[in-house]
Amino acid sequence: MTPPRKPGREIPYWLLAIVLLGVLFLWLIVSNGDYANIFAAVRQGVFVTLWVTAIAFALATALGLAIAMARTSRHRVLREVSTFYVEIVRGVPMLVLLFYMAFVGAPQLVAAWNFVLARPIEWGVLPAFTVRDFDMSARAIAALMIGYSAFLAEIFRAGIEAVPRGQTEASWSLGMSRLQTFRLVTLPQATRTILPPLGNDFVSMIKDSALVSALGVQDLTQLGKVYSSSTFLFFETYNVVAFLYLVMTISLSLLVRALEARMRKSERS
Amino acid sequence: MRLLKTLAFAGLAVIAATASFAADLPDLKGRTIVAVTENAYTPLNFVDPKTGQGIGWEYDAFNEIAKRLNAKVDWKLASWDTMIQAVRDGQFDVGMDGITINDERKKQVAFSDPYMVSQQYMLVRDGENRFTDAKSFGANKDLLVGAQAGTTNFYVAIYSVLDGDEKNPRVKLFETFGASVQALKGGDVDTVLMDQTSANGYIGASPGSFKIVGGPLGTEEFGFILKPGSDLVEPINAAIASMKADGTFDKLNQKWFYEYRAGQ
Repeated sequence: MTPPRKPGREIPYWLLAIVLLGVLFLWLIVSNGDYANIFAAVRQGVFVTLWVTAIAFALATALGLAIAMARTSRHRVLREVSTFYVEIVRGVPMLVLLFYMAFVGAPQLVAAWNFVLARPIEWGVLPAFTVRDFDMSARAIAALMIGYSAFLAEIFRAGIEAVPRGQTEASWSLGMSRLQTFRLVTLPQATRTILPPLGNDFVSMIKDSALVSALGVQDLTQLGKVYSSSTFLFFETYNVVAFLYLVMTISLSLLVRALEARMRKSERS
Repeated sequence: MRLLKTLAFAGLAVIAATASFAADLPDLKGRTIVAVTENAYTPLNFVDPKTGQGIGWEYDAFNEIAKRLNAKVDWKLASWDTMIQAVRDGQFDVGMDGITINDERKKQVAFSDPYMVSQQYMLVRDGENRFTDAKSFGANKDLLVGAQAGTTNFYVAIYSVLDGDEKNPRVKLFETFGASVQALKGGDVDTVLMDQTSANGYIGASPGSFKIVGGPLGTEEFGFILKPGSDLVEPINAAIASMKADGTFDKLNQKWFYEYRAGQ
């Protein structure tokens, strides 16, 4: 039996090992011509990956919150409809959602816009859109938003339901409206439960955003695919791509950990 | 009856030709060659809808090569990326998938001599009237082409239709052939390049959706890929030369590019 150690006192050897690997890899990129070329070719994709993920995640958070409110609503219709949505979206692979959005959803949305707004378009008030104006990146972001909104809704719902019932009853007896109660009492307390899994889902989305390469969005994975298929340096290219993803995901995971630790501290004090 | 006779004679002629050539070809003494392809490139290698077996130009050609070299073929399947990496590592002896020969790639794998010059056609939506060939397509800055990274239709689009800049934003890249045709149908791109057989297949599969404009494009040469320094390069090249000389390749072209009906 080893004596129980105080948390936070251990040297995180796993982190040292990761940092060491990173240093080794950087040395490889600097010293090896192939790796240097690959790095130069895919570097821009990192920004596209982060940009796509950030926008999709922000939208998914907003949509997820709305769905979670519907899931915990008094109105049965809202509950049924939102549960239906969550179950359907959660059960479909992200790649399939992407293709649906790109080749079924987008053309129909454009057709709907042109059909509904036929009159103002005729008068020249509003532009008529072609499917081409609906950028592939936008379609990819929309698909990621829909896919993740279902997962995030469940996280929000769990957080909302974890707030003791007494809290809401107390605020009603103080004369607050339902919306005020949600905004000022329930949500701030739910945030504590919600933030860590939210951070983890953001990290997951960075990895899932690799799927947008299927639509030709110039993200990190797509640039890697393009470079490797013209040079046949598959193994080397995917090494660099994996390394860059790890830099993103591990640094974000560490941020999430730090955030959790700070919240634990503030709870204790 | 006459047809049967003709066929029999043709068969005999081929056997005779084979025999006469096989005499000067290297003998691999019954060795097994592990060959790999993807079954995703009609009519070079694809799945026969009736039997579920892999068939196509490359299957026929390589089986014949092996026969002439007195070798057996053990066919394997892999996706494009893994296939090339595995051939590089020596896991498979030879890979084929309509792979374009270029200098950049020669640093990583050994290529056989070319066995085909690809001929790509412009598949367009049925009502297309803004352009009639590669030249008028290239001249109009608004027109877009769909392709897959690193494939023949990508290189032909860049070098024979557009300006030779591989970063040209007028090329929209998709993961699969099907996705680019879907994008063409939906109006995201204005043309997708493909060989005659695939084009006929798509035209036949959804009548009234597509047509071909312009003539054949491209000068991309296809080669088999092997592990760098492989001892199979020379014998395979010898067999390719003999099959070019005796018209076997022409027969295969006739069979797979003109007579075979995809999607039927």
